[in-house]
Amino acid sequence: MESLHSNINAKLTTNNIKKLAKNRITTIRDFLEEDVERVANILQLGLPCILEIRNNIFEHYSAPLLLGPSLLENYSTKQKFLKTGIISIDTILDGGLPIGFITEICGLAGSGKTQLCLQLSINTVKYSQKVVLYIDTKGDFSANRIQEIIEAQGLSHREMAIIMLKIKVANVFSMPDLLHLLEKIKTKEIVLDNLSLIIIDSLPSLMLQHFGDNNKIGLTFLNQFVNLSREISKEMELCVVCVNIETRWVDIDQTDLDDDYNTNLTVQEPSFLEKKNRCLGKYWCNIPVLVLTLERSLIDKGKDSSNITVSLQNFNNLSDNSKTIFLSINMLGVT
Amino acid sequence: MCSEFKIFNATEIWQRETSLPSVPTFSQTLDGVLGNGGIQLGSIYEFLGLPGTGKTQICLQLCASVQIPKELGGLNAEAIYIDTNTNFTKTRFKEILSASLERCRKMLSDRKYDENAALKRLHYVKALGLERFCSLIHMLPDIISERPNVRLIVIDSITFPFKEGVTVKHRTGLLFRLIAEVQKLAMDKRIAVVLTNEMSTRIGLSTGSLVGAFGDAWAHRCNKRILLSAPEPLHKERLAALIKSNNSPETAGKFQITNGGIRDV
Repeated sequence: MESLHSNINAKLTTNNIKKLAKNRITTIRDFLEEDVERVANILQLGLPCILEIRNNIFEHYSAPLLLGPSLLENYSTKQKFLKTGIISIDTILDGGLPIGFITEICGLAGSGKTQLCLQLSINTVKYSQKVVLYIDTKGDFSANRIQEIIEAQGLSHREMAIIMLKIKVANVFSMPDLLHLLEKIKTKEIVLDNLSLIIIDSLPSLMLQHFGDNNKIGLTFLNQFVNLSREISKEMELCVVCVNIETRWVDIDQTDLDDDYNTNLTVQEPSFLEKKNRCLGKYWCNIPVLVLTLERSLIDKGKDSSNITVSLQNFNNLSDNSKTIFLSINMLGVT
Repeated sequence: MCSEFKIFNATEIWQRETSLPSVPTFSQTLDGVLGNGGIQLGSIYEFLGLPGTGKTQICLQLCASVQIPKELGGLNAEAIYIDTNTNFTKTRFKEILSASLERCRKMLSDRKYDENAALKRLHYVKALGLERFCSLIHMLPDIISERPNVRLIVIDSITFPFKEGVTVKHRTGLLFRLIAEVQKLAMDKRIAVVLTNEMSTRIGLSTGSLVGAFGDAWAHRCNKRILLSAPEPLHKERLAALIKSNNSPETAGKFQITNGGIRDV
């Protein structure tokens, strides 16, 4: 909470602030919550004075009122999409990842999530000369692999160095640390010029540390994380990409036992139903605006390259839903 | 709580990564499958396989390989072996160690092999039961700081402590917390971590019913996963397949387990 300071109103002199502090009124919130008459008593000021200070605070701190036309103008001048540089993704998304929103990449282990993230980092720097922050929670960021991809694309060492300098990496091993980092980005304690993409690879390896706790602390962290990332992505006009994982459930298809005796005797091959489930729970389910689900396709497996199917779920533009595209991963990266 | 965040750029990471050496397995094919010429320091490797496919043998070999002298491009370092399952046998380790170091000695004709000194460079911990295992992991930073020359931590196996005394729900949380701590240590101190995991069955899964234990969520956690299999039981030959990796393509290769440890076929 912000503490009281003289900028709010000239009557809040250092002396007066000290007087308030003696009565345990230090922050703006304390001030507002305290009884007006008591504050007037402490400061030896008239009631109108105190009400004026209160009004000043309200004016200064309340969220601004925006009119429709200015919103529309803002919207039409702002960049809405971040080009991914992967042609099929850009076409299907009308230009790229939505700026100001959370995007999720999910899939089973080894389906190419990290590879896609590395490619996104390279392409963002390459095509828009912006800076990428890669938050690595399980040591999966491989600069060697980055270098390999850039080199395979035939760029010079100079260009390679420029790209690699603009990919920033932070290692984070717990939820509180992640929140801390985002908080510092929000308050501009950590400044990364031209930041346009934050990738978190992966969120579940932090969140699952709180799995099974009875105090639901994990949910609190997740909530804080969502709020922070939404705020940062809107304020600083950037994309937040979270890597999520998929798990599988197997159900046995129940055959009807009420059938007559004879059919029960015939041995039936049990049939199974495989369900895929995005991790991080029901709350998270509706948080990302765009979900890219990766799946390795087993067919057409060439040497040194593997194909992945990406299916789309866009909550902002429902017409995009259940579209799929095909990508391939090889030495050259993801294309 | 960490208050200072170090944000690196990719060039710095690249420098760090390329300067990190690897622990070889004594089989070039297996090194090739692993991707970086062996087990790279700073990463977590998970070996999966049915009983008898060579998980423990690879661990023992790595504990010996970490001692290869500097003159031969080795690390000349020490290893910690965390035994949760009493898989470790001293005689077998002695066998592998002397065979491996004997090979090194031949190349450096003047060196004398001192078995006792070599054995002292393996720090063996028996951690039976979940409580002991968890306490040990919490103590690891202290253990490592007292033994700065340790470059390899082997946990054989990660599955065993979690077999009883913990519910499935708590297991995931605990496991992820422990591994985060281990990884932090591994990256800070440039130590390679090798885990072994068992297989379990999930009937009805489309990709085959034999999967690694701990489920799909855990499958993501380690940087590299290697599946071991024995195509012909009672035979020396083994297959290793890289099924997940952050930086190298997925391949498979053959190796064999000899009296002297892991070797090429």
